Amino acid sequence: MSETTFMGVERGKIDWKPTIDYSKCDYCMECTKFCPHKVFEVHENDEIKLIVKNPNNCVVFCRACSKICGPDALSFPDKNATTQRIKEIRKEESNG
Amino acid sequence: MVENYAVLPCNGLDKSAGVISGEIAIKLCENEKNEIICPVFYRVTDAKYNKIAGEHPLLVIDGCPTRCASKLAAEKNLKISQKILITEEAKNHHIELNSGLRILENEKSLIEIILNGLNKAEAQHAQSSDENTIQFDFDYETFQNGKFNFRVPKNPQVYYNENDCWAWVFGNRARIGVTDFVQQNLSDILYFTPPEIGAEIDQFGEVGDIESSKALVALISPVSGEVVAINESLVQKPEMINENPYELGWVAEIELADFESDKELLIGFDKYFELMKKKVENTNG
Repeated sequence: MSETTFMGVERGKIDWKPTIDYSKCDYCMECTKFCPHKVFEVHENDEIKLIVKNPNNCVVFCRACSKICGPDALSFPDKNATTQRIKEIRKEESNG
Repeated sequence: MVENYAVLPCNGLDKSAGVISGEIAIKLCENEKNEIICPVFYRVTDAKYNKIAGEHPLLVIDGCPTRCASKLAAEKNLKISQKILITEEAKNHHIELNSGLRILENEKSLIEIILNGLNKAEAQHAQSSDENTIQFDFDYETFQNGKFNFRVPKNPQVYYNENDCWAWVFGNRARIGVTDFVQQNLSDILYFTPPEIGAEIDQFGEVGDIESSKALVALISPVSGEVVAINESLVQKPEMINENPYELGWVAEIELADFESDKELLIGFDKYFELMKKKVENTNG
């Protein structure tokens, strides 16, 4: 089950998820085996065989799947920009 | 000179990074005191290489992040002393590898850099001494789930992020590590990649990796600043993180850059204890 908030901010408001570069992905599916949070989904019979199905299940700041990706096909948003955005949302919400 | 290692390359023949791993292993084993382990033959039979791996510290050379050699070592329950990831080394040294399988000029340069780096690391390791003398007096709250205990320090100087890492702040420094949640989930930790001393880390930046046969986890720093010390003992004994991730299993020390700002996005014991309980319950179904 995913956390619904991260640092007091609704998870859906935080843009943190892997992006698949389909020009590099070789559908080895190591990421799906590796990620315990069911972020990815395999579509064996489709042309695009792997999608990011549950982006909000992705643990904010975790990039472990990209580290085990042989063809280097997974990327994540900029960590500092994400941190900054979380701070801004917290400020906006505390002001009202 | 690097010697007395058992060298396990991935030896992948379909990518240049894999071919480089094999070439480095060959070069290291031209020194008669290193022994090569053939990953293909090792998959078929244990006897020959279990003996070699048992008698020498193990150097694992992975070509790409699929980490076939590391996985093989984990399957065979081998303790890894040192590890190289060729694609990462290429990135760090701004060397582009060719898309073919032959070793050309760029690949030759990278091989040389890696071999020199190994020699340097060996020399430094021989000189290093254990200077980790600071003792912290941790006061734990524990909860149990099945046969597993989860401890969380209650000390007010200890802060947590929601990525299950802790920071004990003292003066202008913080000692950091992972919590019991991480080590229990990983199970037996087989390898620790430390951050570099002198590296500037942003808050939530990565300060080292921890690996078990189950997973690889990056330590997400609760604080920003410069890495001024690492727990050298973990390189040889990463299992100390399983024993106690707060005391002997600490990971690094950071000279704080802006703790007042970092603190905004950290939580104390009360909140982390509740969060961890919830995570444990969710993990176990």
